This record gives sequence, structure tokens and C-alpha cells, in this order.
Amino acid sequence: MQPTFRACSVPTHDIASIAVHDLYSSHHRWLQGWLRKKLGSTWDAADLAQDTFLRVLLKRQAEVQQGLDAPRAYLRTIAGGLVVEHWRRRALEQAWLETLSLMPERHAPSPETRQMVLQALIGIDAMLDQLKPQVRAAFLWARLEALTCPQIAERLGVSLATAERYIATALRHCYALRFHD
Amino acid sequence: MSIGKRPSASSESSSNSPPGERGGPADPVPAVVIDQAIAWAVKIDFNAPDTATQRAFDAWLGADPLHTTAWHRIQSLKHDFANLPPKLALDTLQAAQAKLIANGVSRRQMLKLLSIAGVIGAAGWIAGEQTPWQRLIADASTGTGERRALSLSDGTRLVLNTDTAVSIKLSGEQRVIVLRRGEMLATTGPDLGLPSRRPFWVNTSFGRMQALGTRFAVRLDGDDARVTVQEGAVEMHTANAGFSAIAHPGESWRLSAERLIRMSQSAFDPMGWTDGVIKARQMRLADLLVELSRYRRGRIFCDPAVADLPVSGIYQVGDTDRTLAFLAQTLRLRIDYRTRFWVTVGPADI
Repeated sequence: MQPTFRACSVPTHDIASIAVHDLYSSHHRWLQGWLRKKLGSTWDAADLAQDTFLRVLLKRQAEVQQGLDAPRAYLRTIAGGLVVEHWRRRALEQAWLETLSLMPERHAPSPETRQMVLQALIGIDAMLDQLKPQVRAAFLWARLEALTCPQIAERLGVSLATAERYIATALRHCYALRFHD
Repeated sequence: MSIGKRPSASSESSSNSPPGERGGPADPVPAVVIDQAIAWAVKIDFNAPDTATQRAFDAWLGADPLHTTAWHRIQSLKHDFANLPPKLALDTLQAAQAKLIANGVSRRQMLKLLSIAGVIGAAGWIAGEQTPWQRLIADASTGTGERRALSLSDGTRLVLNTDTAVSIKLSGEQRVIVLRRGEMLATTGPDLGLPSRRPFWVNTSFGRMQALGTRFAVRLDGDDARVTVQEGAVEMHTANAGFSAIAHPGESWRLSAERLIRMSQSAFDPMGWTDGVIKARQMRLADLLVELSRYRRGRIFCDPAVADLPVSGIYQVGDTDRTLAFLAQTLRLRIDYRTRFWVTVGPADI
């Protein structure tokens, strides 16, 4: 998460950056309050508020101009997405710690490995989060348990054609994120 | 993955674009080719392709450089999962998802809630963080190559073999274990704390069985369940047709939806897995490899030339690569690792 808003050197167009500065000075305090209610933490709220404005800066000018018609609704949409990401990340971090805590200590990975794996898992979780739960599960089993489509079909109680469609859907989704985003 | 020999520039468009190039507005790989590559990936990577399929795939791959580029791109998506500890990664991703669902928050719901400002607070959302582990206990499973022992509240002990999933319901008038996949050993517990001992049932899709104070193993195969009793007795009932029979110590039975068949001696010890080994007696090599492949990710293909070789001995399932290497040495076999997950076993002299 970006600690400060002013320190980052993002290439911006003058008009847009002026607009964002106005947006910032008029609504920053309000946004931080809104986030605090959502997150229950002043620190997280401050971080996510900064992050919200950073996202606005990185948006295309046309979109920002449109957003300025209803600035608070616009900020709330972006900040809302960040809150969801924050929750997912929190859930994943907790799940990771719990998974590790169930392991015998001598088998536990090193701190560096833990951090690396966590980062990779956050990436995968974000990549798959728009998929339907069954598609997500099928793809994870295929990748991480090397299950074949017939095995997935059996586990989910669906036809082979459906299992194959799930895998294809997930592959297409990942491909689009990687190569067209 | 074998790429095959490509014919010289057979395609009419953008045959010079380097493979793996990032996509974008001027993407050299048309969506229709990507769709083909995905369809092939489903057949080749996520199914057990027969030789004809493999040959058709090789032909497709070689037919156009664009096909190769598309195929490399689809294959590159694997990198996200490279070097992850599979079991830990899967547990974590599923538990994280369960945390969100257990709190009644799917992504769509989250987004919906977010648009209604201030309806839920994060504090309430984070409060229920223990839920996924209750679910894990009620719905226990093992990954490929894993074994796990569980002690249940009625004193029953379950050992789950590789790639196994069970549901456990101990709250009602009966104790019911549903074996959904894989293999387990049950040693029934005394069920103390209740006025009378409740019946203990194991349900499968082929039929169900009632333990009569006992230690027994159940394994699900494609067409039936195999029941092996060590102590006590087990009464088995087919799912259809209303047949039942009692299995006694030392016996193995096949329970299908319509039939119950007492098995003669098997080519390997049905309880061997509880010690982490396959104990084979004059077992066909192909059958041993099928058995061994239950304990590893991916597939082992056996060349018909060596499929019928008889094998006897005790084979560790904990490190299947070592076991394969050992088999290769003792039986003069050749082991080809096409990928980590795709192994072919054939005679050494070709």
C-alpha cells in the first residue's frame, strides 16, 4: 500500500492532476471517515484512502472527468473495491497462518518461503476471484492436485463436459488477465 | 511437452512474431487460435490423452507458428502455480474462500453491500474467523500422497489414505461416515457418554455398511467399493437390488450398487497403505503402476511391452520417484519424465 500520496511520481496530465488535487482536498477527510467505518481501523482507513486517490491518478482522464460529476459516489466505488481486496487479503493471510500452524514445526517453511508463497497466493486469489466457486475449485484442483477432468467431474458431481468447460473458462480468464489487461 | 517439427512457414499471417509476446491491441494471436490452444490444453494437460489425441495435437501444434505461440502462452499460465507447496496452497486458498463464504460474503454480495454505505462493519465480518476449521473437521480430506489420522468425538479413529474425502456426522441417532472418494481405515470407538452405543455406518455411492464393533478398510474404485475387515464384522448392503452380506476378519469384498462379491486373494495387501507401502505378490507391473500413481500428482503410463511383468515386493509410496527408480533398476525398465506429472515406463532396451 502506498504510504503517501504526494511522494509518488505518477505521470499525469495537468488538468487531471489539478482535478485530483481538488478532489483530494475536498473529500479526503470524508473518504477516510467512510473507510474507517468499514474497516474499524484508523490506520487501515488512512492507507486505503491514500490508495484510492492513487488509483484515481492512474485512471484515464476521460473516466476521471466523468467521475467528477458525482465525486463521492466515484470515490466510494473505487474505495469499495479496495476494501474488498483488503478483506480478501486479510482472509488469505489468516488462512495461511492457520495452515502453517497446523503443520509440525520441523516441516514448516522458512520465513522467506512463507512470504513468497503468501505473495503468490494473493496473486492467484485475486486472479481467480471473479470466477464462480465451482470453476475456481475445479481449476485449483487441476493445478494443485493434478486432478484430471474426469476426476473433477466426479468430485463435483457434474458431467465431464461441464468439468472441461470449467477448466477452459478458467484458462480463458487467466489468459485475458495476463495478456490483455 | 513435445513440440514436434514445424513445417516451414505454412501460415499466411504474422509468422514472424516471437512466441510469448505480450498481447494488446495489435495482438498477433487471434482469439480463435487461443480458443483452440485452450481446447487442446484441456485434452492434453487435464485429461489422459490417448495416442491418437496426442498425435492430432502434435499435428495441430506443428501446423502453424501461431499455434505454437498460443500454446506457449497457455502453458506459461502454469508459472503462477510453480514452486508452490501444492497441499498448503490449496488448503490456504480454500480456507480463505471459506472464511469469506462462512461470513456470508461472496464477492458479489460484498460489492452489493459496499454500495449501501455503512450497512456492515468490518469488525462484525472478522469476528467469525474460526468457522472454516469447524468445516474442515466435519469434512476431512487428504491431498494426493498424503495420509491423515483423525480421532473423532465418539472414540472412533479414522485413517485417510491419499486423495480421500469424508463427511462425518456424529450428532444424530446414528454415527455416519460418508466416504466420498479415496480410501479409509476405521476403528470404531466405544461411543461413551450416551446411554447406548449408536450404530456406526459408512455410506458410499455403491452401498452402505454397518460396523459390528470393528476395524475395517473401505476403498472406492471406479465401479465398486472394496471392503476389507481386520477385526469384528461388517454388514454390507448394496445401494440397489437389496443384497446384503456379512464380511468377517481377513475377508475382502467388492460392493457395487447391484452386487456383493467375495474376493479371492488380491495381488497386493489391501491394508499395506496403512504402513505407507504397497505389498505386492506377483502383481502385474501395470497394476502396480496404477496403484503407485494414486500417490503422486500426474500420471504414469505403462508401455504394453512391460505391462505383464510380474512384480513382488514391498514398495514405498512416500517417495514415488525413488520407487520408480528402484523398479527401473531391478526390472531393467526405462523411466521417461516427459514432465514432472507425465511419466512413461517402458523396456530399457529401446
